[in-house]
Amino acid sequence: MKRPGLVSALIYTSVALVAAGAFLGVTLAGDYTWVARGGGTAWVFGLCMIVLMPIVTPLVSARVKARMVSEQGGNHG
Amino acid sequence: MARKLQKEPRANDDRQICPHCGTRVPYDPAAAPSVATTGSTGQGGSEGDTATIQFHVTGMMGGHCEVNITKALMGTPGVQQAVVTSATENARIEYVPGAVSPQQLKRVIQDLGYGVAERAEGQEALDRERAARQRETRRQLINMAIAWPVGIVVMLGTFQPYWFLPSLIPQWLNDKVVLFLLTTPIVFGPGRQFFVNSWNGLKHGITDMNLLYATGIGAAYLIAVINTFWPEAGFGGREATFYEAAVLLTAFIVLGRYLEAVTMGRTSEAIRRLMKLQPRRARVMRDGQEVEIAAEEVQINDLLLVKPGESIPVDGLIQEGYSSVDQSMITGESMPVEKKAGDEVIGATLNKTGAFTFRATKVGKDTALAQIIKLVEEAQTRKAPIQKLADRVAGQFILGVHALALTVFLFWFFLGYGLWFTPESHLMLTPYTLAAMGVFGFALLTSVSVLIISCPCAVGMATPAAMMAGTGKAAEHGILFKGADAIEATSKLQFVVFDKTGTLTKGQPSVTDVVALGGAEEDVLRLAAIAEKNSEHPLGEAIVRGAQAQGLTLEDASGFNAIPGHGIEARVDGRWVLLGNRRLMALKGIPLAAALPEAERLETEGKTAMFVAADGQLLGMVAVADTLKDTSAQAVKALQGMGMKVAMITGDNQRTAAAIAAKLGIDRVLAEVLPEDKANELKKLQAEEYRVAMVGDGINDAPALAQANVGIAIGSGTDVAKETGHVILIKDDLMDVIAAIQVARRTMGLVKENLVWAFGYNTLAIPLGAGLLYPFFAQVVSPELAALLMAVSSLSVTLNTQRMRGFVPPVRRLRKGAGAPANDLAPVAGQ
Repeated sequence: MKRPGLVSALIYTSVALVAAGAFLGVTLAGDYTWVARGGGTAWVFGLCMIVLMPIVTPLVSARVKARMVSEQGGNHG
Repeated sequence: MARKLQKEPRANDDRQICPHCGTRVPYDPAAAPSVATTGSTGQGGSEGDTATIQFHVTGMMGGHCEVNITKALMGTPGVQQAVVTSATENARIEYVPGAVSPQQLKRVIQDLGYGVAERAEGQEALDRERAARQRETRRQLINMAIAWPVGIVVMLGTFQPYWFLPSLIPQWLNDKVVLFLLTTPIVFGPGRQFFVNSWNGLKHGITDMNLLYATGIGAAYLIAVINTFWPEAGFGGREATFYEAAVLLTAFIVLGRYLEAVTMGRTSEAIRRLMKLQPRRARVMRDGQEVEIAAEEVQINDLLLVKPGESIPVDGLIQEGYSSVDQSMITGESMPVEKKAGDEVIGATLNKTGAFTFRATKVGKDTALAQIIKLVEEAQTRKAPIQKLADRVAGQFILGVHALALTVFLFWFFLGYGLWFTPESHLMLTPYTLAAMGVFGFALLTSVSVLIISCPCAVGMATPAAMMAGTGKAAEHGILFKGADAIEATSKLQFVVFDKTGTLTKGQPSVTDVVALGGAEEDVLRLAAIAEKNSEHPLGEAIVRGAQAQGLTLEDASGFNAIPGHGIEARVDGRWVLLGNRRLMALKGIPLAAALPEAERLETEGKTAMFVAADGQLLGMVAVADTLKDTSAQAVKALQGMGMKVAMITGDNQRTAAAIAAKLGIDRVLAEVLPEDKANELKKLQAEEYRVAMVGDGINDAPALAQANVGIAIGSGTDVAKETGHVILIKDDLMDVIAAIQVARRTMGLVKENLVWAFGYNTLAIPLGAGLLYPFFAQVVSPELAALLMAVSSLSVTLNTQRMRGFVPPVRRLRKGAGAPANDLAPVAGQ
């Protein structure tokens, strides 16, 4: 996992897409206009990204750092 | 150590780890700026060695920026510790050279969108800081000058059809396209900074206040544009264009930024005022001639001349002359101090009446003023626990607010709109009705209102602004807190332990009583002083000083013999004079019975009684004691009046210590404590759950000063004590212990008030923004009202902080009013 930024982006984008998809799925079952469905899906996706980015990015970076340290420790030892 | 090695396994490698790909790249130490290198582990070896570097960081706007930069730095391999302070625009980083370079650390900060430069020192740093602050203030002033007039025009245009406005405002101003044309330059002009900063943060996985601003302004603007050009889209149509919301939101946020810049600029003025005290010129005597040179060119041992009305350029010792010196700017003393040959003078103080020459003892960075400036600078870069907590909470708060905005959106979209929405409902304090607003528009409106209304920008400056104001105010009164953590700890003190010698007492024994058995007291003192004239014992020196003070003539003794553990014998005027303790008198067969009751009385008062005999006959006694400082008893009484417990710690015997404690009104005495055990005694008090301050002056107090919750070193003390203490009192006045506690308590009071203004407002306003009142009153908060409430929060914090400017510790007010040491301490005790 040499590119933590890319890995993070893949994770939070995927989760946000799933959440936005779920929102769209629920609205399809109800009586909503397409503007409401589309706008709502975009807003949910945006907020999910904003919430997930600062959570996922440090977690992935920490794992990369830990792995790097353990590899270097192995090389030393 | 193990943890450190885990973190930086190859700390002494001459290559560094690339933070992006994890590979090692060559590191060129020559390219690095100068840094302070320290052995951080103290266990030897270079593997654990760290270096510290400070950067000047620009563009920070409160605690969130501090948290963001700290997080990014701490996430960089090789960084041990990072302390970022927006108030002083400083980043202090402890790192492992070889694992990461200063250039990489700079890049990490730059990548977040902040400006970074190596930190300059002294005047240069101040000039740079002031220039940056002025640039930021000017920038936000220009933004306000654009956003506010246009915002008012847009608001008038939006409300043109209502009330009496049709007769005053032309109808074309209500045209949505005109409003669009007016609003767009504001959103992408003064408002651009929020979009750019939030994007820079997001790229690094960091959310900050800018994101709240950007989403709020962006959403209001987007809804307005959609309703202008696609009115059938379901966002409320042409009757619900929120251009004035977007533009006023920008204007209010810019106002908050401007207030922050002004507040922070004012609080850092404390250091600038200290800097200004430094005299520029000095008159030096060279080869008997008076030469005027720059003050920074003065060398140690130079002989300097100071005339009336001039500032004293450096620290030194008066050689010749007499004058009174106004030391208020350094020590906070309200009255000028008389100075004569042999007295110390402090650089930057003002010579009032006479001329004198003095020899420079401390110059440049070693002067008292330079040390004070350094301490205040360092103090303002350290964070109090309450500030760290506020930063952490604010950081999580922003994330929580976005999660809440999502929840609010989902609630109103799927549930609330269907249950409570009525076409008659409208936005608070506006004529807008929400008749044509669809489910998405309504849910989005409440969601955006939550984002705007909860913006904790005031939280970011609540603590640092108050702390900087507090440290600056304390410095004005001759009290140096070594950090915001010291202020917080001082405000919570419950127990004050005073060292005796040199702290409660003058630290210099003097003659207190002369008892003559039949003859004259003068003769007893004269004989004792002549006998002790060649002695180097502190008690002997005290007797000689006492005799000289009475104007007695002291001839030389013709013979002298010291008897260790007993005293001395000397030949004076052809007689053998004995001076010493009971054992000496017993050894020489001198009867003591007549003097014993008086001797015991003196000892009960904490004095050392020495017997004087000549030619086999007891002549009398000389009693010597260390005298109390003028303000010791007042200080103890005042502290007790504040509800604090007071103790005295000393190596003296129990009887002497108890006598002195009784004079001071101290009921808890820790006597016969060896220097190395002082820290243990404090530990015992701390084990009783007391938050303890130790007030001391000597090298032997250093461990206790370090052990105490707050170590208070007094001005006359040793450098070691001052280095170890958390608080330094420049003057040798114990009343300043009370002033320090009063300043600390006032500062912490201000911090708490600021946090209440900042967090309390958010806590109360969020439910309003989320539409809690809507089911009952059919009204929701408009985005511009949310922005107004947010700006009011910042304004409250700013105005509240300014109150510290006029604060004078009550103990100082009292003494100033009296013009002398206070007698009536009741008002102080009430503090």
